[in-house]
Amino acid sequence: MIYDIRQTTDCTYASSVAHAHHVLRLTPINRPGQRVQVSSLRIEPEPVHWREGQDFFGNRLTWIAIEEAHEALTVKMSARIAVEKFAVPAVADTPSWEAVQEEVFASTAIGPTAPSHFLFPSRMVSLDPEIRDYARPSFPPGRSLFEGARELMRRIKTDMVYDTAATTVTTTPPMSFALRRGVCQDFAHIMISGLRGLGLSAAYVSGYLRTNRPPGATRLQGADATHAWVLVWCGAAIGWVGFDPTNDLIASDEHIVLAVGRDYTDVAPMDGVIVAHGGQHIDVSVNVIPVG
Amino acid sequence: MAAQTDNATLKTGNGLEALVSGYRPLPGIVDEMMDGNGQVRPHWKPLLSMLAGLGPEEIGRRFASADRYLRDSGVFYRVYEDPAGVERPWPLSHMPLLIEPSEWKALEAGLIQRAGLLEAVLADAYGPGDLIRDGRLPAALVAGNPEFLRPLVGVAPAGGAHLRFIAMDVGRGPDGRWWVLGDRAQAPSGAGYAIENRLALSRAIPEIYRKAHVKRVAPFFQAFQAELFEYNRQEDARVCLLTPGPLNETYFEHAYLARYLGLLLVEGEDLVARDDGVFIRTISGLRRTEVLLRRIDADFADPLELNARSRLGVAGLVQAVRDGKVVIANALGAGLVEARAMLAFLPALASHVLGEELLLPNVATWWLGRADVRDDILAKLDSMVIAPAFASLPDDAHLGRGILGAALDDEQRQHLLQSIADRRVDYVAQEAVTLSSTPVWRDGRLQPRPFSLRLFLAKTGDKWQVMPGGFVRIAENADARAISLQRGDATADAWVLSDAPVSPITLLPSPGRVAVQRAPGMLPSRAADNLFWVGRYVERAEATLRLARALLNRITEAEDSAAPVVIAMTGLLQSWSAAPTDAAPLSVSAAATQVAGSALMGKDFEGSLPRLVKAARTAASVIRERFSPDAWRAVNDLVAMIEAPLSQGPVESAMIERVEAALRIISSFSGLAQENMTQLAGWRFLELGRRIERALQTCRFVRCFANAGAPEGGLDVLLELADSQLTYRQRYVMIASRAPVIDLVMLDPNNPRSVAYQVDRIETHLAALPVRQSAGRLSPVQQVAASIATRFRIGNAGHIDERQIIEIESDLMRLSEAIGATYLTHNEPAQAVWATLP
Repeated sequence: MIYDIRQTTDCTYASSVAHAHHVLRLTPINRPGQRVQVSSLRIEPEPVHWREGQDFFGNRLTWIAIEEAHEALTVKMSARIAVEKFAVPAVADTPSWEAVQEEVFASTAIGPTAPSHFLFPSRMVSLDPEIRDYARPSFPPGRSLFEGARELMRRIKTDMVYDTAATTVTTTPPMSFALRRGVCQDFAHIMISGLRGLGLSAAYVSGYLRTNRPPGATRLQGADATHAWVLVWCGAAIGWVGFDPTNDLIASDEHIVLAVGRDYTDVAPMDGVIVAHGGQHIDVSVNVIPVG
Repeated sequence: MAAQTDNATLKTGNGLEALVSGYRPLPGIVDEMMDGNGQVRPHWKPLLSMLAGLGPEEIGRRFASADRYLRDSGVFYRVYEDPAGVERPWPLSHMPLLIEPSEWKALEAGLIQRAGLLEAVLADAYGPGDLIRDGRLPAALVAGNPEFLRPLVGVAPAGGAHLRFIAMDVGRGPDGRWWVLGDRAQAPSGAGYAIENRLALSRAIPEIYRKAHVKRVAPFFQAFQAELFEYNRQEDARVCLLTPGPLNETYFEHAYLARYLGLLLVEGEDLVARDDGVFIRTISGLRRTEVLLRRIDADFADPLELNARSRLGVAGLVQAVRDGKVVIANALGAGLVEARAMLAFLPALASHVLGEELLLPNVATWWLGRADVRDDILAKLDSMVIAPAFASLPDDAHLGRGILGAALDDEQRQHLLQSIADRRVDYVAQEAVTLSSTPVWRDGRLQPRPFSLRLFLAKTGDKWQVMPGGFVRIAENADARAISLQRGDATADAWVLSDAPVSPITLLPSPGRVAVQRAPGMLPSRAADNLFWVGRYVERAEATLRLARALLNRITEAEDSAAPVVIAMTGLLQSWSAAPTDAAPLSVSAAATQVAGSALMGKDFEGSLPRLVKAARTAASVIRERFSPDAWRAVNDLVAMIEAPLSQGPVESAMIERVEAALRIISSFSGLAQENMTQLAGWRFLELGRRIERALQTCRFVRCFANAGAPEGGLDVLLELADSQLTYRQRYVMIASRAPVIDLVMLDPNNPRSVAYQVDRIETHLAALPVRQSAGRLSPVQQVAASIATRFRIGNAGHIDERQIIEIESDLMRLSEAIGATYLTHNEPAQAVWATLP
């Protein structure tokens, strides 16, 4: 499936910002199953410094500095991306969760996608004992990791209420889990915390969902903004598989990956330091249209 | 005479015996001073004999003098868990630990070898990663380490080394060998305290120190200092020590080391990272720095690429490192090698990386992430110490720095076993080691206590040097694994003995090696800002005290004729927010007592004394290293006194007494600042704050007590507030009259309390500050200052009216703002772009 993706991020500030430094993670890259045919970034006001690079996990970073006073900042991303369908493995062919755990513990891989990076607590995802105990029943001895993760995803979708008013970007997994409410970020963080608590590797993905699905299919939750879901390492033979606990879906050709990290803080679309008084407001609009 | 001499000799001869007669090593523990047969080890004999020569009473006096030295130098540490965050006096255990020459040689060689290994591990982890790919270092152990800073992967540190100053904790095991207990590579603390311990002890027992053949530590620091300055390539650049600030537990040491090594003490806020390098925000603009001795944890060093929540770091520092613009000691990410789990792999890595065995073993450690290890360990859990593999685990608080399996209760054991079943990668097992003991002087005699020894290494050129000395941490209980200053234990000096007499080298930097640093412009803006406000708050406190005293003096007189002037004074205190304005309808004198009491003790009013002196202390605490310990103590004494309740309650006499005492402390603070602060830019900002505030207050006093409608007796009050009665009486043998009084307190340039005098001082200070504007035009600061000065040159006491005084006040306030905008804040425009235009 090929998509035209547009994302507009509008930041408005309560007072004039004298200068600003930002890190943007808003440019998609080629990944297994995903090819970026074209992409561009437009920024207003014009930055005086602009540098492109990548982070440890291979995500594309754009560093910008704006040194003129400004009351608003607009970043427009547009891209055309081809995404392949994911071939869901037969459960019988997938290893048990215990076997995968041993594989991670003994891993000698340290590259950007190595499972060891995604096994430990990270800035926003602590290893919460309650979430771990919630996840545990999905992993009885000997069960396939793939099957366990799919069940955990389904349980989170069932037990949690999608509520855009309950949490913010800084809500931690124990908080949203106690509320049993939240948005895609919270759902993903909870699933990651549960999996890591049991010694399994799970990563956080930011990306996009197809805006309008074919007639008959339900509209996906989170399609109007950037979305988040989970990658679970299912052993070297299968590798990373995307699980979307907000929609109870295995990621396939309706999920487009923007950035991958240990949690939200690794993939936050826009970080930075500004010199200003007062608050700021951010408005994000996303459109993902299939073109073929 | 002869009898006395004999007596003294006798005392010395038997003294050693007497000194150690009650000393019994702890059961099953090696003792540093006494061998297994109860014999004093030979290398301790000279020290003990000399101490015995002093006699127990003199020993006690000498050791107390060491404590006094530490207190007077302002050495302290802070305890994190303490809610008040109080500063504790430095706990020096006076008996040094002695290390004999041959043993030291062996220790030195082992530490240097280990330092090389740690550097190699870091270079690989942040470089090719071969050790991991070859399975010599588990990937999980690197990836799971919170100090593995991914933005630094692939970055070769400027200057070529990750490690430049490290520490290793060692202890002697029951087998008599030294063991490495842990490595400190993040930002090791203790070296500055070790210097202070040495200074305190060597001053307390100078004759013993001189004769004991103790190796000097100064050359070590001189070599390290020279090394740091080696990377300072541009002439105008400064080498900095980057501290997290005064709230850190070891801030004293940061300030101390900065001074000792000739570094500029900076916080993240003082630095700015740009494309062309890292700069210090100073009162003369941005100044380059190329070398940072880092005492903040690396993760907090850059909110842009590391921990975004950090308020301590410098946005863009990681990029500056990547661009090779700054040498950081130790490199960001060096803390990786501190992990406990690392100890499990270093012995094997030594053979692989160095091709040699570790000369100095580290405490036996097993990482439970290995499947083959786990079962072995679980089988003998009781005899092992289980500890977090990296830092502490929030879910296993009881684990702390490690707990002996046998010490776990059933519930804890079940919990631990489940945690290990879930995530055994988070745990290590360590052999339970009992450390040796060393004597401490307690209750007038020597007693054994377990200890660990922190040793320091500095890289100079491509070699490592070990500081011949150390920082000894002494446990009050017999569990020698749980030693931490945070738990209130003591510290001691370590004396490395030499076979031959040691040439005396002073600990303080020798004159020849110190670069003369007079550049007044290197004052960080943040420090200048705080000094300015210390000056303003202290002066405001003084004005409030004087006004309260004048008021209290007149209540006592309690004449009806004094009522209008008393009302004017209470009104002024109320307008300064020092007292409530909605007081109950009381008699004039009762209301005045209440207002004076509130100004002196009312914590709810922002203009009250308790609030003013606290504000002064807060501003001073941020830059306390810029005050002498005495000046800092004066500020603290003032706060402590103002906060204490009055013993007899708020009666006038007690309040007057307090005012007098407070004024005495303030004047001693002023004297200390005047006499003991180098008259560089920092002192000028303190002065500017005081002079501006004093000029403002005096203007207000004049408007209140000497304007046309001022109450009777107002001029006397004014003379009292301006501390000018004596001068007036000497000059005019008559009762106060308006024109001469105004001339004296406003216009007389020779009266140190007059507004004109303050303005004159302000001009002098401003002229001595770095010029921030290009030639030809006056800066905004100079413009305002010139405008004020002009007013005074044309002023005439007979004609000065309220409107003119108000104009002077508003000029003074504009001046304060202009100083702030020019020197103290930095909205640096994109100068580089414009500067290149023709």
